[in-house]
Amino acid sequence: MHPAAWLVWATCAGMVTFTTTDPFYLALVVAVSWFVYAAQRIPGETSRSFRVFAIAGLLTMVVRTTLVFFGTVDASSVAFAALEGARLATLLVVFGTFNAVTDPFGVVRLAPRRFHEPALAAALALSIAPRTVSMVGRVREAQRLRGLQTSRWRTLPTLALPVLETGMEEAVTLAESMDSRGHGRGRRSRYRPARWTAGAVAMTVCALVAAGVFLVAAFTEQGGLHPSTFPLSWPEADPVLLLTIGLLAVPGFLPHQRPPTEDPR
Amino acid sequence: MKKLLRFSLALALTAAVFAPAAAGSAPACAAEASGAPHAALVVGTGGSTTTYCVALDASSVSGIHLIQLARTQFGLQYRLGFGGQAVCQLAGVGPTGGDCFGDYPDFWGYWHGDGHGAWSWAGSGAASASISDGDMEGWTWGSGDSATTHAHPPALAFEDVCEDIAPSPTPTQAPTHGGGGDGDGEPGGDGRDSVGASDTNPGGTNAGDAATSSSNEGDRDGDGGGNRDDRSSSPAADEPTKVTTATPITAFAAGLSDDPTDEGGPPIGALLAVIGVAALGAGGWFLRRRQLGTGGD
Repeated sequence: MHPAAWLVWATCAGMVTFTTTDPFYLALVVAVSWFVYAAQRIPGETSRSFRVFAIAGLLTMVVRTTLVFFGTVDASSVAFAALEGARLATLLVVFGTFNAVTDPFGVVRLAPRRFHEPALAAALALSIAPRTVSMVGRVREAQRLRGLQTSRWRTLPTLALPVLETGMEEAVTLAESMDSRGHGRGRRSRYRPARWTAGAVAMTVCALVAAGVFLVAAFTEQGGLHPSTFPLSWPEADPVLLLTIGLLAVPGFLPHQRPPTEDPR
Repeated sequence: MKKLLRFSLALALTAAVFAPAAAGSAPACAAEASGAPHAALVVGTGGSTTTYCVALDASSVSGIHLIQLARTQFGLQYRLGFGGQAVCQLAGVGPTGGDCFGDYPDFWGYWHGDGHGAWSWAGSGAASASISDGDMEGWTWGSGDSATTHAHPPALAFEDVCEDIAPSPTPTQAPTHGGGGDGDGEPGGDGRDSVGASDTNPGGTNAGDAATSSSNEGDRDGDGGGNRDDRSSSPAADEPTKVTTATPITAFAAGLSDDPTDEGGPPIGALLAVIGVAALGAGGWFLRRRQLGTGGD
């Protein structure tokens, strides 16, 4: 599937998430992300990023809620902070899905040649969390083979140093290899270009419609996008907006994208 | 290290024990005599002013929470905006959206009283203000971005609002102006909740929000505009303003007035959301299991 379609999908899902703090809408966006991830994930190491981002989102929500307890605590402010945290968590889940269903470097190739380097930096930044996590796993295994304990706080340096070092090395290696292959310099390769299939077009249109509806609802203050937490009240959900979020699940019904037969890197 | 820990613990304990005592300043002692801590809340909608002697549920609460307490105790209608950090509506007056400056240049000005009739413009938001026993808070609807241009709340002392818990009534204080901003200071005088005789008492009608906001709107329609113009040129304290003391509503009435907001959520949307989440979750789980079954990673 065309990486640009995924880019549009993720942007639109993020926009929908950004306009609301209603737990029903947010839960549905998370469910949609999970469904899309399950249907379209690319087998391999990057697909782990869904779980990583989901856990990070959960932590974000917990931290955001915990911060309230340093101020005036009542049910309303706790609920407000939890909903804000839930919004951040949902955004992270959407990004995790995006990382798991498409190759971030495929997105880099879409950028105009002039903006190739910023796009590369963005792609590296987006994929740094899952790469670090997989690296931690590898380093831990290696240290365990050497007979070093890696489970306690005291032993954090034996884990952190190699991870940081490997991260630096990998970044330099990647930059060198991309440079030596003339990325961003010469003409772009036309080998097996990504195609805009009917499915990709459909999912792009649906995602744009969903984002549009939510933006309109946000600007006209309709649909209860932000449930009142002062005074605390039970959040409502507009069936039309719920169905609109359902549009984001379209890629989950498309046939599974073929995994790339060879690593483009 | 341990010694330091123990010392800081002792310090914290000492602070916890003595802080409330230190915080109890002169007017606070008065209220303590009658038991629970109270703060005075003065709400001026432009046409009329209503005062609330709010019982605090903690030694110190935020300005927002004080309004919430006034709702449960007196049925004061309010709406917050900017994520619950700002006050959009009080007693039915103010913008209806989430933007509390939607009716700018008119907005709810926030004041701190010194307890003796003087008001100072609040420098920070109500959510971060800390109100304790004996404090006075004022909200006035009007235009003007500073203490000199915005309408002042009337010059009321803490005892004028919370007369029941004033230390010793001083009946010498005669009404200084026509309508009478302050009362005659008789302890427990039942007849003085409404000083302006013709004024309808919003809190007195136990119907909660609707009665409060509608009567206030009536006031506002009647003389709101003219009054506001006058105020921008002269201090509000000199004017004959109708000051109404709100009477507490019973717990039963408070419960009733809360009910409609609870029942406001029709479960259709929620049900649809839950079904959607369950369906997508199960679908994703099924897909993952099938992938794992066929040996895909």
